[in-house]
Amino acid sequence: MAVANNRWFKNTRVTPSLIFGILLITFIVLVGILGPMLIDVKMARVGAVKPNLAPSVESYFGTDSQGRDVFTTLIMAISPTLRVGVISGLVSVMLGLALGLLSGFFGGWPDAIIRTFSDVLMAVPTLAFTILVVSRMDRPNIIVVALIVGLLTWAGTARGIRSQVLTIRERSYTAVARANGESEVEVLFREVMPNLLPLMMASFIGAITAGIGVVMALEVLGLGNNVIPTLGMMIFWSQRFSSVLRGMWWWWSPPIVTIAAIFIGLFFLSWGLDRFINPNIPVNLGRRRRLLKAEQMKAAASAQSTLATTQQAPDSQQTGVLQVKNLKVVYETARGVVKAVDDVSFTLQPGERMGLIGESGSGKTTMVTALMRLTRPPAYIADGQVLLDGKDLFLISDEELRKLRLKDIALMPQAAMNSLNPVIRVRPQIKDGFRVHGIKLSDKALDEKVTEVLRKVGLRPEVANRFPHQLSGGMKQRVAMAIAISLSPKLIIADEPTSALDVVVQKQVMLTLSRLQQELNAAVLLIGHDMGLITQFADSIGVLYAGKLVERGRVADVLGNPLHPYTRLLIDSLPNLEGKKELFGIPGLPPELLHLPTGCAFHPRCPFAMERCRQEIPTIQSPTTGFDVSSTRAPGAPGSPKSAERRQVACHLYPQNSRLPEIKSVTTSMLTYATSENQQ
Amino acid sequence: MLKYIGQRFLQFLLIIFIANSLTFLLPRIIPGDPIQEALTAKAATAGRANVDIQAWAATYNAKFGLDQPLWRQYINYWFDMFRLDFGYSLNDYPATVMSKIQAAIPWTLGFMSVAILLAFIVGSALGALLAWPNSPGWIQGMVPILMIISAIPFYLFGLALIWIFGVKWRLLPTGGAYDPTLILRWDWKTTANILQHAILPATALVLFGVGSWALSMRATMITILGEDYITFAQSKGLPDRDIFLRYGVRNALLPQVTGLAISFGLILGSGVLIESIFTYPGIGSLIYGAINSKDYFVINGTVAIMVLCAASALLIVDILYPLIDPRIRYDK
Repeated sequence: MAVANNRWFKNTRVTPSLIFGILLITFIVLVGILGPMLIDVKMARVGAVKPNLAPSVESYFGTDSQGRDVFTTLIMAISPTLRVGVISGLVSVMLGLALGLLSGFFGGWPDAIIRTFSDVLMAVPTLAFTILVVSRMDRPNIIVVALIVGLLTWAGTARGIRSQVLTIRERSYTAVARANGESEVEVLFREVMPNLLPLMMASFIGAITAGIGVVMALEVLGLGNNVIPTLGMMIFWSQRFSSVLRGMWWWWSPPIVTIAAIFIGLFFLSWGLDRFINPNIPVNLGRRRRLLKAEQMKAAASAQSTLATTQQAPDSQQTGVLQVKNLKVVYETARGVVKAVDDVSFTLQPGERMGLIGESGSGKTTMVTALMRLTRPPAYIADGQVLLDGKDLFLISDEELRKLRLKDIALMPQAAMNSLNPVIRVRPQIKDGFRVHGIKLSDKALDEKVTEVLRKVGLRPEVANRFPHQLSGGMKQRVAMAIAISLSPKLIIADEPTSALDVVVQKQVMLTLSRLQQELNAAVLLIGHDMGLITQFADSIGVLYAGKLVERGRVADVLGNPLHPYTRLLIDSLPNLEGKKELFGIPGLPPELLHLPTGCAFHPRCPFAMERCRQEIPTIQSPTTGFDVSSTRAPGAPGSPKSAERRQVACHLYPQNSRLPEIKSVTTSMLTYATSENQQ
Repeated sequence: MLKYIGQRFLQFLLIIFIANSLTFLLPRIIPGDPIQEALTAKAATAGRANVDIQAWAATYNAKFGLDQPLWRQYINYWFDMFRLDFGYSLNDYPATVMSKIQAAIPWTLGFMSVAILLAFIVGSALGALLAWPNSPGWIQGMVPILMIISAIPFYLFGLALIWIFGVKWRLLPTGGAYDPTLILRWDWKTTANILQHAILPATALVLFGVGSWALSMRATMITILGEDYITFAQSKGLPDRDIFLRYGVRNALLPQVTGLAISFGLILGSGVLIESIFTYPGIGSLIYGAINSKDYFVINGTVAIMVLCAASALLIVDILYPLIDPRIRYDK
């Protein structure tokens, strides 16, 4: 099945909102600026024309009760309205920027004072205060009004800028700049401010909107400057002369529609601008999603038809408790499609502990979510099957899958800090599991079960009454474990359960997990990057690199005789407590999944790379039978023929070779080969 | 916990202090003292009440006259503030400002709180549904409509509504809180009449409110639905509805409710425009009338009350928030 093609996706962050906003605002601005030059402005003066006329050919929008031509007045009014909004917006943003920078960058006293003022301003009804001041002015000067509004509305911008500055200050590139000897002020201008640009633009548009809003409100209330017509004044006058009640709809509706258009335009402009600048918001995914969904449906349909012809054998011995076949999971990004999990297959026997090792970005967590069909956009399952005891998890209905979760297949999440609902206590979160899987017990019996399951993970019963934030990291991880084992599942998927914990707690958690696995005789798929930890726990391991499974086998076999160069280098990079040796890591960096090397993904970093490795992607397969796999075990050892079958590697060195040659040093010419030809 | 309340209360006092000081200072920065002129003018024109007004003008001059040093004026100002004595209304003398405010507040509070609450409930429910990826397509299509509605200031809706329902179709009254000929009593007829008059302004407010509440709830929900505990809840096999309500909405409500509380705080201020358009006799109309008749005492008093209301609401939010967010309540 073809995976989604790069050609489809527009590499652009321009959204319909942005275009609409720009067009609308530009149109209005043009009308406001050019309009007065093209029409007879005298018609906007009081008494210029006959009053109270309905729209006609001579007077497009009719005339008002003061003898003005509404159309002309409208065109004349746009510019002052926008002007005052822009001025107050500018004042507000400039002030907000300055104070926010001061506050965030220098902290201490300036920060405290500025924050107090902005808190106060939040409690002050802007309109009311403006009314207070402006009502005392006979002829409110537009500039003064704009200034006052700006003075009252800087708080929001300042607050946003302050928190951005605080975040940016702590980022590494500012630390680097400081280390390079830049002064605080230089850091401010060169590092911090450019990163504030997105926030500034959004604030500016927001401030203009607020400015126009407040000034318009003032004018509608009658506090505007009576001489220069603005849109707000038009509404005020129309109200004054009861245009609504007198049915003179042509007087009050044009300014309202225009003002509404201005606000709508500004809204969409800021919405679209936000999406344009902020790289975190996904855009234009609708079309891609639909297209990929179509492919998925086709794949499911064809898989269904092949299933009808093959025999389903729910024999655990044959198929194992978990069988993953050709799993492919892709991510759609703005820059193209990323194959996070690329054609991965493996089998897990009941009660077996398997470790899956990979670096960050090798696709581990993506696989975990895919196994339980929890993949969320922008990740999509592109192909493959996941058989739990023979049942294809991708083909069953949502409801059936829901029933399987926790009961047959349970997840132990990574970083349980965020995996528990923060506003509910621990007890209901454990009881949840029992309740939704139809276990009808009395409250008391359920409470006992909760205590029992907590005891199994080594936690006291009182923990059940706490909120998650009251527990330490290790305790939270154990609560997650308790939930995972509560219904005695057949398969437990542990996604880096100890990555976020310190070493001592890691050991406790792993011992607990080990004990639980033995008690339940559940199969465990342990995922992580800590080779030492995983190999101590697991019976067999698999090694992931760039989304592909590159080696598979029993722990003793793989550790004693690693076949894939990557595995070998991984093992070699572990420090040895028993002696001194030169430590070298693996040269180069893991490949960027968007720009994978041709052929074998590992070849740029591989000490044994050949020409073939650059051209052809190796497939994972058993090495030949002449190959001595169980070199560390006596022949005839229990289960060895089957284990030999399950020894697999994806490398062009086999089956010609029987084992890896010695690696003398890793600073080979392969390195220059790697840097010049393959880094992009 | 006590320390927390104490801190917030001090902040409350600080807000009142600064805001009211601004109210004192700002008008005095502008050259000319219109109050003085207005009082003098009134004293000159009033008939029988002349003596009272002159006495009043004299008292005012004693407290805030130009011959008083600024700091003493300031102290006098605060004395009055404590007793909520905002003086007399220039227009409706001998009515006190406070009495006018007291007459107007119930209308504003009653009608605005119902409107805000309604907009919040409908808007938040809509917003939550919009964020749920599995909701039907027609609901998703409402997003642009809501965006447009929330962008337009609500008083513009108001005018359109008055025209459609009040003038063109003559279904509903065009203004006021109740029929001018009605005598207010606690009976069904009065209530019905009040409700009838409240429909249009409430609709304008609710329409606009629903738009902005829905969008903000949607944004919060989308962030929350991306959290790890949602994935874990799904892995437990919890049904969609459970996750949506207990894990999603329950967490999203926290910031939403804070926003609601702040809205209530600014309730007196927000009503200004809607009441002026609908001639609803609440605080908003009061200030509107005061602007037009240059009744400075009423303006000052109303603004002071608005500030008091907003600051109190903030204080109440800060004190009550721990009750709904256990993370703050049980902080060791």
